Amino acid sequence: MQSLQRLPGVKTIGIGSGQSKPLIRGLGFNRVIVLDKGIKHEGQQWGADHGLEIDQFSVDEVEILKGPASFVFGSDAIGGAINIKRPPPPAPHSFGGDINLIGKTNNALLGTSVNLFKRTNKWFATGRFTLQDYGDYKVPTDRLYVYDFAVDLHQNYLRNTAGRETGLHFSTGYLGDTFRSTFYVSNTYSKSGFFANAHGLEPRRVDAALHDRSSRDIQTPFQKVNHFKVINHTEIRLANHQLEIESGFQNNFRQEYNNYVNHGYMPAIYPDSLNIPKNLEREFDKNVYSLNAKDAFQLGNHELQLGMNAEIQNNNINGWSFLVPAFDQKSLGAYVYDKLWISDRLLLHGAVRYDHIDLNLYRYEDWFQSPSSENGAPSYLVRADNMNRSFNSLTGSVGLNYNISQWELKANIGKSFRAPIAKELSANGVNYHYFSYEKGNPNLSPEESYQADLGVVFSSTKLRAEASPFFNYFPNYIYLNPTSDHDYFYGAGNQVFEYSQARVIRYGGELQVKYQPWENLSAEMLGEYIYAKQLSGDKTGYTLPFSPPASALFNITYKPIHTGVLHHTYLSVDYRITATQNNIVPPEKKTEGYSLVNVQAGTSFPFQNNNIQLSLQVQNLFDTKYLNHTSFYRLIGLPEQGRNLVLSLKIPFHFSKSHITEN
Amino acid sequence: MKRKQWIKNWLVASVALAAIASCSKKDSSIVDTEYPSIDVSASNSFPKQCSEIQRGQKFIAMIHVSDNKELGSLNVDIHHNFDHHSHSTEVNDCSLNPVQTPVNPLVLIKSISVPAGQTKYVAQQEIEIPADIDPGDYHFLIRITDKEGWQTIKGLSIKIK
Repeated sequence: MQSLQRLPGVKTIGIGSGQSKPLIRGLGFNRVIVLDKGIKHEGQQWGADHGLEIDQFSVDEVEILKGPASFVFGSDAIGGAINIKRPPPPAPHSFGGDINLIGKTNNALLGTSVNLFKRTNKWFATGRFTLQDYGDYKVPTDRLYVYDFAVDLHQNYLRNTAGRETGLHFSTGYLGDTFRSTFYVSNTYSKSGFFANAHGLEPRRVDAALHDRSSRDIQTPFQKVNHFKVINHTEIRLANHQLEIESGFQNNFRQEYNNYVNHGYMPAIYPDSLNIPKNLEREFDKNVYSLNAKDAFQLGNHELQLGMNAEIQNNNINGWSFLVPAFDQKSLGAYVYDKLWISDRLLLHGAVRYDHIDLNLYRYEDWFQSPSSENGAPSYLVRADNMNRSFNSLTGSVGLNYNISQWELKANIGKSFRAPIAKELSANGVNYHYFSYEKGNPNLSPEESYQADLGVVFSSTKLRAEASPFFNYFPNYIYLNPTSDHDYFYGAGNQVFEYSQARVIRYGGELQVKYQPWENLSAEMLGEYIYAKQLSGDKTGYTLPFSPPASALFNITYKPIHTGVLHHTYLSVDYRITATQNNIVPPEKKTEGYSLVNVQAGTSFPFQNNNIQLSLQVQNLFDTKYLNHTSFYRLIGLPEQGRNLVLSLKIPFHFSKSHITEN
Repeated sequence: MKRKQWIKNWLVASVALAAIASCSKKDSSIVDTEYPSIDVSASNSFPKQCSEIQRGQKFIAMIHVSDNKELGSLNVDIHHNFDHHSHSTEVNDCSLNPVQTPVNPLVLIKSISVPAGQTKYVAQQEIEIPADIDPGDYHFLIRITDKEGWQTIKGLSIKIK
């Protein structure tokens, strides 16, 4: 996911140990969807402390959709979408595979991914197994201050950020001329530690000797995340209709383990009678059933697409700490998309979509008693009550593409939406990791976004330039507002963070210029800028949280042509300058600008009729100490990873006689 | 010809972005981005890091808080640190008692009212420590917000004897 960061307009929210969440033009969490082989990936997107449950080795091609993409995907694609495409099937009559090896120096990561594939003419099967194991990661400092509390780091290791990941994938399918159907089954699992000295933002004293004994062990606090998925994609061609059906089942199971700490009014000693395991702080268990269907056909000079999406979710919770209640969700949407060719140069397109979402939230009571009023008798507080909400939404967009000689113009305006999530409607718990009492708002309306996008592209043989400005208006952006109050009963004395809605404007854009004076040398500049401002409510005048600072990336790539047995050889240097971010909103901190240098090099060479690919990256070449404004740990001033060498090797092999190289 | 076009393209693109960028400059300085502060070093501030408090007695907490614009709400929280879990935000550690198992530890969460419109305030709050609670290491956590929602936290290690 972090490799996407190079793309202008795409950032990630770092959450430690190389894990991250996507941020498109400053919007993330439930405002960006990740589409995996046509099906919306559903984990715990709202949470700031775990990554995307996708095995990077299984990813072949990723497409980024910046801006509202709701009309194809429904709720949540209000900020954009990350589309992980279906990998192309193996070539006919092939039988082979490849072995990937990866090593990273910063967190001593070792990984491998082994892939096998076989295809007759119309039938194929593939299998993949991935294993990655990494130690605590290193930062360019030996002392941190969590609030004012000094934390000494043993040999620059960020205590307890080690982890391991496994991925298992299997696919099989039939590829006929008029009928194609493929099943994809996968399971990803990870176990990773949280930085021990600050669980969330809460300073914790730790047994340093225990943690520092090994940089590879995983002690508490840690999390386990398992994601199981079955997806089917079926395509039928009838006359001039192309019918596609995507169906899927997913189970996301996440557990957070921590030593019991009695916060607020929780009992000092964990009661034996409680049937929640003593170290299980949180558990989220989610089942998702999805179905998408669409029909694409030609009608005169109209290219039409009719489609529908349906999803059913069951969410259960466990653990001694409470943030979000259990809930069920059903959603159904339908759309029409039309592309109209006016001439060779001008394309008009438009879409209309209607969605209906039903949400059922379930009651949750504390397992311990708290005083419910000043000197009142203690009682079991109701943290969330049963609640039913339904949302309806009509969205759409219109746009045009126009080409003249070397110029291309794209313009689009549209409306997108997002239904409020369970946490926003009914959270009523203390998040001890943030010293906050998060209070949901049952009256939230679906968030709406109006956006205008422009794209101007110029391309010639040596130069390609693209500017993509956007303007975005939210009449009711849902925002977790830190108020000036503390709450004594439900909030156990913590600051009240209340979900509210505000008018928000956002604008900005990306600029990409690539200049290639010679065949073997190119230079590139990628720039981005975002501005956001709240126009109403308690935080009028403030920005939105996690606003990425302006940044520019300069790159020079050298690709020698005559290199003997070596092919695809390159050497590339990235220089990124990131501006200071002074535009903040409570509880953020201003973040100073920084510049970073990354170097990438690679080549491939033949070995027994196959091409072995070798690549080397040096990230943060000068071991620069810097803070990332969009990192989860920014508030406790945790610097980003120091210098990191990444070496990867891909060794393809083939069993069958016909020699076909796989991508 | 090529070169001219190249410059022109560059200009168009950068002017468009610059126009957008320049609009924002004036706004960011208007909003308040300053955190309130807690001064535990003032001479009459109490408790201080490593202060000792007696069971069965009252004491007066004296808390100095300030903000550049307007203070919000003030809150104190006393909870045990028998397991040495530590919220102390002070650099110097006090000598801690050995780890102990809580039986009847003190849990006290209290709001202290701050009059509206203040930028500086010295809160005085009488706090009574019951006689039957466990003695030992405790934390005294102070939380102050300002009107805009910025919060500052100070955690002090104290001993209840």
